[in-house]
Amino acid sequence: RHPRARTMLPLLLLLLPAAHGIAPLQYTPALTTNPTLEGVTTASTFVLDQPRCVFQDYGNADIWLVVALEQTKSTFNNTAKPGTNETAFQRFPDLVGAYMTLNTTLVNYPCPKPAGDITVLRVGSETSCAQDNTRPTCNGPLPGPGPYQVKFLALEGSAPVAETKWSLPIMLRTAKSPSTISTAASGHSAGMIAITTILSILLAILLAGLVAMLVFWSSDSCGGSSTFSKPESVTVRRYNTHHVYDQPAARL
Amino acid sequence: MAKSDDCVHILQGLLVFGNVVIGMCGIALTAECIYFVSNPHGLYPLLKATENSDIHAAAWIGIFVGLALFALSILGIVGVVKASRTLLLVYIILMLITFAFEMASCITAATHRDSLTPEFFLKQMLERYMKSEPANNSDNELTKAWDELMLQNHCCGVLGPSDWQEYTSAFRLTHSDADYPWPRACCVLDAQGLPVNLDGCKLGVPGYYNNDGCYNAISGPVNVQAWGVAWFGFAILCWIFCVLLGTMFYWSGIEY
Repeated sequence: RHPRARTMLPLLLLLLPAAHGIAPLQYTPALTTNPTLEGVTTASTFVLDQPRCVFQDYGNADIWLVVALEQTKSTFNNTAKPGTNETAFQRFPDLVGAYMTLNTTLVNYPCPKPAGDITVLRVGSETSCAQDNTRPTCNGPLPGPGPYQVKFLALEGSAPVAETKWSLPIMLRTAKSPSTISTAASGHSAGMIAITTILSILLAILLAGLVAMLVFWSSDSCGGSSTFSKPESVTVRRYNTHHVYDQPAARL
Repeated sequence: MAKSDDCVHILQGLLVFGNVVIGMCGIALTAECIYFVSNPHGLYPLLKATENSDIHAAAWIGIFVGLALFALSILGIVGVVKASRTLLLVYIILMLITFAFEMASCITAATHRDSLTPEFFLKQMLERYMKSEPANNSDNELTKAWDELMLQNHCCGVLGPSDWQEYTSAFRLTHSDADYPWPRACCVLDAQGLPVNLDGCKLGVPGYYNNDGCYNAISGPVNVQAWGVAWFGFAILCWIFCVLLGTMFYWSGIEY
């Protein structure tokens, strides 16, 4: 037996894990549920929880967010370098299957998370660099409704050292056109129907009364069924003259 | 004769009383409609922006009907006291015309109120708020009215900020979704009119944006206006009906 072989073997075994590199972390990125945010997904952005207390062993690494479509995530290679054409936001999704953005160091993800702080990452918030090819790591608005899947990748230098799991598929909101809103009247309220019918009946009665009045007037020549005496006034009244003349004749 | 004299006097007294009430109600109707026309809640651009501005027209009719009722009530009192057939005939005919106008006003106000559903305002807001090439001045006024509404009532959209996410809009054409998930007026603003926390507003963190819809703030005053015109007018018309019937009966009994 070679005495050197015995010492070489453990050395080789020690070096093997270091050469392979990427440690798979048991963390799944997820949309923020606490607190409830109205804008957790919009038409072109979504909000993730920050990966606190996940990358504790990688204090020297840059932590990147990898965004891919559900169907293209398998084409992403962990050795791809950020800030290159391979992972440029502006080339997503037509020319590349995934892009890398939102890089930071562990300093910005202190552990443990202070209670009461809202620690989120808004993916898609940078609109100024969305068309700027000189900013391939832009956190630009997402181009479609998805579904997207994301993961965090820790790079030391340019070598990947740790990655999280892929998130569940994230679907963004799609907006409908306002012409789909139907403004057809849902029928009339009871109040409106009551007003219309009652007022129509009242008006009809009044018009009938007016007609009756006028007919009554035009046919009235010898007084009606009941006559009211006027109060003292200076107008001359027309009495039933034959009645007045008859009486003296009867007395005489 | 004394008994029928008493009946006559009672009827005259009732008719004079009825006309006095009509006169006072006429003044009240005029005052109420002037109040509504003066647009106290700033909602006129929302109601005016379409062709259905009938609640407003109903209020305008109410002003003139109220004045007419006042004048006619004086004519009626004079006619009853003098027992003049011509005066009372003129009174009855003019009163019927006024009745018809007021009836139209009430029915219009009630019908238009029924058409002001949340969907109506939602569609109007999405299609016209912050329209980039305003077709006419009414689009600008609508935008200003909505901004005022959202600022004063601390509300957003018709049903909530999600209105801006669920539907595309004229606003969305000029304001990107990432920068403006909803208009800035939906954010909680400080004294200078700037958002207290812009990121919090964009994210939708409770406390930094207005979560409520504005429909309640709109429908409250609109309901008051529509039912104020419609039901008050209805009550006046019922009273006028009784007075007119009494007047017709009185008229037919006057000696010629």
